[in-house]
Amino acid sequence: MERELVVTGIGGQGIQLLAKTLASAATREGRHAMLSADYGGEMRGGPSKASVVIGDGPLRALPVLASAWSAIVAHHRFSEPALARLRPGGPAIVNLPLVDPASLPAMTVYGLDATAVAKDAGAPQAIGFVLLGAYNAVTRLVDPASLAEAMEELLPPYRKQHAQANARALAAGAAALDGPPAPLSVPAGAADLEEAPR
Amino acid sequence: MTLELLEGSTAIARSAIAAGCRFFAGYPMSPFTGLLENMSQQMPAAGGVCLNAESEIEGVNMTLGAAAAGARAATGSCGQGIALMQEAIAEAALNETPFVVFNMARNQQDYFQSTRGGGWGDYRTITLAPKDVPEAVEHTQLLFHLADRYRAPVIFYGDPLLAQTRVGVSIEALDFGPLPPKDWVLDGTGGGTGRSRQIWTWAMGKATDPGPGPDGHWRAIADKFDAIDKVESRFEQAHVDDAETLVVAFGSAAKFVEYVVDELRADGHRIGWFRPVTLWPFPGEALAAATAGVRRVLVFELNAGQMLDDVRIHAADRSAVRFIGGVSIAESGLAYGELMDAPVIRDRILAAITGGARP
Repeated sequence: MERELVVTGIGGQGIQLLAKTLASAATREGRHAMLSADYGGEMRGGPSKASVVIGDGPLRALPVLASAWSAIVAHHRFSEPALARLRPGGPAIVNLPLVDPASLPAMTVYGLDATAVAKDAGAPQAIGFVLLGAYNAVTRLVDPASLAEAMEELLPPYRKQHAQANARALAAGAAALDGPPAPLSVPAGAADLEEAPR
Repeated sequence: MTLELLEGSTAIARSAIAAGCRFFAGYPMSPFTGLLENMSQQMPAAGGVCLNAESEIEGVNMTLGAAAAGARAATGSCGQGIALMQEAIAEAALNETPFVVFNMARNQQDYFQSTRGGGWGDYRTITLAPKDVPEAVEHTQLLFHLADRYRAPVIFYGDPLLAQTRVGVSIEALDFGPLPPKDWVLDGTGGGTGRSRQIWTWAMGKATDPGPGPDGHWRAIADKFDAIDKVESRFEQAHVDDAETLVVAFGSAAKFVEYVVDELRADGHRIGWFRPVTLWPFPGEALAAATAGVRRVLVFELNAGQMLDDVRIHAADRSAVRFIGGVSIAESGLAYGELMDAPVIRDRILAAITGGARP
């Protein structure tokens, strides 16, 4: 089975790093992963999008995804093209209050204020990791320990001092939607939308 | 087999080094730059040399020199830079110096450049067009083998998706079988003995040891490429037996077509696909066989219709051939435009099947 994630937001939110962290975590677990990045002039506030596909065998998914099972929406700006490709019923993690859950009527939406959660965790710069922790708490795509290991591995030597704060952000994001996480909204007829294994 | 999540450019560089590549020279140009950066990072540890040349012309000629001295050598650029390299590639084909040219192309508009060449003389360049990063890893190593086997420059046809997508891959040295000894290299061992060697496009030899001259040499080169044409074409196909419609595509576009054809099959369409893995030699006989029973042959490529020529030459019935591709470039000019997308390709195929106007 292949699971696809699209991550959409703006430059500076950590979109690319969170996507890379998830793909690396899956690879650490011996699974097949693909990561495609799509961003503009590498500027703060510009469009930033990434997609991750994880599967147990060689992947069929294309580097430009035809459709996606799930989403992390960090910012409403520039998100429309990515959201148009989501298959109904799948999970979407949205960053409140920058994203209106009503903009994803066909998805099972989980919301958290990633900026506030990151601040409370003492990791104000790590909202991307908060969203990733929350996403993985909902989807359980990888072991949380793999995420933390991948995050640490990807930090360049001059940023190693951020490892602990990032780990707190991952955990705080997971905790924000833990136990079991309750969706903010579920599409009408959601039970019929439960996907058969692909 | 341990998977590593590697960007395509990194995977290709690692694969080239695993194949024994020890010399690389090139000039930065997106999306080739990533390969050059990776080579410069990884080559020193392998005991090789990577040089940032002053231009593409310098890069390819240094590569020719390194290859003439016996090294497994490679250069690269995107199509725009490879246009500048054509003289050296033609010389190398005619003086039989083997190396690999990585065309990390911005799109599919370099099909003619790769398969027809832009230099002079009767030569061809073996060209492999991988469809994804794992296959690019394999093709990289196969190209070094084919270059040495036939003593000829060969081309890797890549693109931005192959260069920049990160995929879990495993890089290991692959064995493609024995190769003839490199007893022709200019390694200085014959100097001063009267038995020094030459690599010369015109093959006129020395006063004491005349060569075959251009007539004999260039006939032999033409015969060599004829022989390669007969044995080195590679292709993939699926669902051909009962297909009414066959879609032909190469490189990344073929992976997209494969995906869409699988969907259309699931919807009950009698459709198949055919992919030239080698752009030259073009798998003409295989295409003729695959198109023998079909009603329509659709050609999808992201250019104005280049491989289309080869499909028309070889299709069982050329009147069945329809072009459904087109020029499609990102706003930056450095990558594919919106045509490299499964839903768009699906629409074009369906429009061709139903005979409707192209969207």
